[in-house]
Amino acid sequence: MISVLKKRHTTISLIVVILFGTFLFYIGTDGFKAFTAETARLNDLKEEKPVFPQITIEDSKGRTYSISEFENKYVLITFLYTSCGTVCPQLEKNMAELYERLPQYVGKEIVFLSISFDPTRDDPERLETYRKAFGSDGDTWRMVRIVDKNELDLLLKRFGVIVIPDGNGNFTHNSAFYLVDKTGRLSEVMDYTKIEEAADKIVTLIESEKGNKK
Amino acid sequence: MTSFIYGLLLYIFLMIPPVANLVESIMITHMHMQMPFLVIAGFLMGKLYQRRFPLFFEKWNNNGIPGITLFMIIIIYWTIPRTMDEALTLQSVEIFKFISLPFLAGIPLRDSWSKLSSFGRNTVIVIFMIKYFGMGALYIWWPSQLCNNYLLIDQLTLGWGFITTALCLLLYLIYVFMINPSDYE
Repeated sequence: MISVLKKRHTTISLIVVILFGTFLFYIGTDGFKAFTAETARLNDLKEEKPVFPQITIEDSKGRTYSISEFENKYVLITFLYTSCGTVCPQLEKNMAELYERLPQYVGKEIVFLSISFDPTRDDPERLETYRKAFGSDGDTWRMVRIVDKNELDLLLKRFGVIVIPDGNGNFTHNSAFYLVDKTGRLSEVMDYTKIEEAADKIVTLIESEKGNKK
Repeated sequence: MTSFIYGLLLYIFLMIPPVANLVESIMITHMHMQMPFLVIAGFLMGKLYQRRFPLFFEKWNNNGIPGITLFMIIIIYWTIPRTMDEALTLQSVEIFKFISLPFLAGIPLRDSWSKLSSFGRNTVIVIFMIKYFGMGALYIWWPSQLCNNYLLIDQLTLGWGFITTALCLLLYLIYVFMINPSDYE
């Protein structure tokens, strides 16, 4: 009799433990959707749609302006630093490919912006060299830096870009295509390795908006 | 009582902010040093709780299975890349780490391990061995960062740390299956 009771208690506590575990994993991964902080970050950004802050941007030609420069246009953004030998060249190469897939829209409906988070080394001159290397025209696709450290941090924080210096002049950072809509809000964060998917999404967005206007 | 004091001292030592910051600054020491030490702290403190509440453990963890399951759930939870990241960025998750590892993993481990049959113990070791080989492979071959707060090289180091741990578990299992202790007595 006692052993049966004990068995029952053990079964109950096992069930409680398993329920607790399921609950813990459910909460910890946003309902089994996000097992890395990066996925969680992207999901959050899509919900939040943060506004691109009013900060001063300086481009490779030495011009300075704020995001209002691109009012009524979509802005496709990537974050990089020119001394980067690994992810950034790939990121920019993919950005160039995306750029080439949207010839009918670039300049009119959408502009491309590569933002450096290493403003001390990436001066306009250096950005200009980098710009030429990737065949950007400096107008519909600009390479820029944000000189003011506080402004840069504000942007990185708001868009959830995490940059960690490794002490040897390199950075580890997360990469993506960031699409800011015509009102200056972040509307999409897209996988930078899926160029075709990103292109399709942008075309759909622009076309559906045109359709709405008619 | 002595073991409780040692456990408590270890626990307090791990909580000192400079110590916590130092071990958390490196991925592998975060996972393979701080976390196991927290479990050990709980394990050492566990004796006192067992003595204080013998009926509770006797009643609800009679065969050790609920306890060891809780232990495994907590340990596996803390190997999810996201939880490690959030322990660094969210205070609440950090606090949960310091509570869950000693009290929900360390104490149940102490109470359960001795109650398990040798088959049960080996099963637990096999589960962890498979899991660690898997986690090692994940951290080594995953092409991008799994944790936003750590460098890729840290991730690689941690991957090899997992593989090493898994190999040790494998060695232990081989030893258990191949060698009969009574041959040497």
